[in-house]
Amino acid sequence: MLRTITPRNARVKRVLKNREAKTEENVKTAIFIRGSQTSQIVNDALADLYMLKKPHAVNFTKKNQIHPFEDQSNLQFFSQKNDASLFVIGTHSKKRPNTLTFARMFDHQLLDMIEVSIEKGIPMKDFKTPKSAIGMKPCFMFNGDMWDQNPNYIMFKSMLLDFYHGQSVDKVALAGLEYVISVTAGPMTSEGKPGKIYLRTYTIVLKRSGVKLPRIELVEMGPSMDMTFGRISEAKPDVWKQSLRVPKELKPKKKKNITKDVMGDTVGRIHLGKQDFTKIQTRKMKGLKKRTSTEDADESSDKKQRVDDSGDEE
Amino acid sequence: MDVSGVLEAHKQKFKSIAVEGKLIPVQYDLGLLAAFDENPVDTAELNRNKDEYLQALSRDNAQLLFNEIFQLQTISDDNGVMAMLPTPTTLLPREKPLPKPKPETRWEKFAKAKGIVNRKKERMVYDDASGEYKPRWGYKAINDDGTKDWIIEVPAGANPMEDQYGARREAKKERIDKNDKRRQRNMEEAAVATKMDQKAVNKGDRPNMDNVRSMKRREIENQILISKSSTASAGKFDASIKGDLKPKGIKRQFESTITDMSKEKAGNMSILDRVVGKNGEDLVNVRKAIKSTKSRH
Repeated sequence: MLRTITPRNARVKRVLKNREAKTEENVKTAIFIRGSQTSQIVNDALADLYMLKKPHAVNFTKKNQIHPFEDQSNLQFFSQKNDASLFVIGTHSKKRPNTLTFARMFDHQLLDMIEVSIEKGIPMKDFKTPKSAIGMKPCFMFNGDMWDQNPNYIMFKSMLLDFYHGQSVDKVALAGLEYVISVTAGPMTSEGKPGKIYLRTYTIVLKRSGVKLPRIELVEMGPSMDMTFGRISEAKPDVWKQSLRVPKELKPKKKKNITKDVMGDTVGRIHLGKQDFTKIQTRKMKGLKKRTSTEDADESSDKKQRVDDSGDEE
Repeated sequence: MDVSGVLEAHKQKFKSIAVEGKLIPVQYDLGLLAAFDENPVDTAELNRNKDEYLQALSRDNAQLLFNEIFQLQTISDDNGVMAMLPTPTTLLPREKPLPKPKPETRWEKFAKAKGIVNRKKERMVYDDASGEYKPRWGYKAINDDGTKDWIIEVPAGANPMEDQYGARREAKKERIDKNDKRRQRNMEEAAVATKMDQKAVNKGDRPNMDNVRSMKRREIENQILISKSSTASAGKFDASIKGDLKPKGIKRQFESTITDMSKEKAGNMSILDRVVGKNGEDLVNVRKAIKSTKSRH
């Protein structure tokens, strides 16, 4: 296990503080690991996935004796050492050719893991097209009716979103939307097993459309992979629940007194407080006029006089 | 004048931004810039010309996603036009658990009870003596504690030969030491508190001081007991002191005579397994065993 570090200078202290649990978390760092045996396809895939994940990525160029489904101690060690919580492990064997294992950690312990094997992969460098800049936020596209049904698909979707969504932001530059990661779920196999999934990456070209919104054209950038699912290791329900907890500070505040009615109109309720009836302005009438007792006496005598006057005129 | 014809002609020059043929409306999570198209994939087309089909499908969905994104509220700043994104609806797991609330110090607890709120003070204060702004504390700080006065009146009843500067320095040092002790105490209490009741601390409760003290006491007692048995005779020949701590013995626990059969069986099987089973190999250090038998002969 790792020794605990006591900070002896300000720099180390800052780094350790940055690694502590926070309400608003850092972008998850991914580690790309080569297993004891890899093929060219796996190497290319790892390199391309690393390029897309940069700058929040660490590339392990040496081979590692690592079998994530048998022993997770290596992953835990790497996770703690690098403060990383995402892993892609590339291996190649006769039984499981061209395999990528996507793994996720929670609190430096393995959360869940999914294995895919690449049936056909074309690396980024084979597409002679413009590439997106490093560290841009991608758009995601999940096509097909399977993505919410099968645990394999659900996990792969969640994993991919988690890997590449980057910093959670409240605004995004429209000019900075440069590429799309599109994943299409092919049909199920005849035995009812999950079928192929097609991962494609495209750069986005905005064209004029004659209206305010632009016309979108896509140019394939690579990598392009056709994959099938392998083994899967799902998260323990209690750990999963714990990992999904949202801190109180980040929960959206409930807006009081604003509701939406059946028609979708927003209805507001306003509280006026208690009304003071003594100060309310009603119809002005002499009889309701407020007066002091002395004034009262004066005025009553006035009234009498006036009545007398009118009598005279007649 | 009717310009609709002209507008239509202008529109005809460009490709449309409308996307047709989506039976199920595409779902979006604009916070993550994601679109989820649940329409079934056209298998025949996918098999025939895969890449063209995938690109066309992705383009259509990208168009739909961009139509949504471009309709969001925008602001423009140095980075150009920015679209305000809603909070993501897809829940993604965190990297680390939620941060635990820090245990309060004694002062924080007192201030909270009394309703004392910290007011921010400026770092730089005006120094009348020199006529410039100086830091409130630290290096080149303002003379706030009187150690930098050029002349000090001897207080009434004080020894005139006593060094008043020294006395003030001493007083300041004492204040610092006192504060340091309290800081140390707060840290100890915090350490014990976090060890003591994780659930209570998670909830934001501060465990009460009596528990902290008893915890500390227990820890010290343990250490005393360890030190007592750390002599050459493991404490056997040490003179006993009246009222001294006595180590508590380990209480033996017995299984009740009538228990679940399966549990008993499992226990026995595990013993058997360790002795003669597959895992029994580790039980005997072969190298050592050979050595010992050799030396006996």
